[in-house]
Amino acid sequence: MTGRTTLLAAAELLAWWAALAALWLVLISTVDPLELAVGAAVAALGALAARAARRAVSAW
Amino acid sequence: MNGWILAAAVILAGGVGATVWGVATGPLRRRVVAQNLCTAFACPALLLLSQGYDRPSYVDLALVLALLGPVGTLVFARLLADELADDPPSAWGLTYAAAAVGALVVPAVCVAAGPSRAMAKLLFVGVLLIGGNVVASRALSGGFPEARHG
Repeated sequence: MTGRTTLLAAAELLAWWAALAALWLVLISTVDPLELAVGAAVAALGALAARAARRAVSAW
Repeated sequence: MNGWILAAAVILAGGVGATVWGVATGPLRRRVVAQNLCTAFACPALLLLSQGYDRPSYVDLALVLALLGPVGTLVFARLLADELADDPPSAWGLTYAAAAVGALVVPAVCVAAGPSRAMAKLLFVGVLLIGGNVVASRALSGGFPEARHG
């Protein structure tokens, strides 16, 4: 992979992670450190899955 | 009994009652449309009940319903695609009326919740509700041509 595609991949993953983490923050009832940690981890997994799904479909 | 619970009761008795009757009787095209609209009426009723009883957990029920209701309609649209192809159901008047119910209820409960994370959650449920309603209705009435040969 070239440097540019790596950068684009990382940027897309970061964007997905930010959107999913924001959604998590909206949907939980109380905000405490455990919720934030779980949300960050789950959002990271979701970002990987979302990018893989988007690449598989390859039409946005 | 307060205004929220009364409004929820009216929507449940009128909207969901009518859709249950529509699902149980009549031709296929009416039944699938009624199944689709059942979600569009039950979800705002749950939001109103959440405000009426002051139980924020009911919003989670509305969220799950707003997600799974259109999925159910899409399952029916896929399984009944052959029968529906000859006689596509089109009830855009009813669909927009049901979307209007959602569009009235969501701002009302948002105003009651006040600017907060709770309001953002209600707005998200509203977007899912109306978006899911439109997507499921379009899938019933002919589908998405670009996805047909996928």
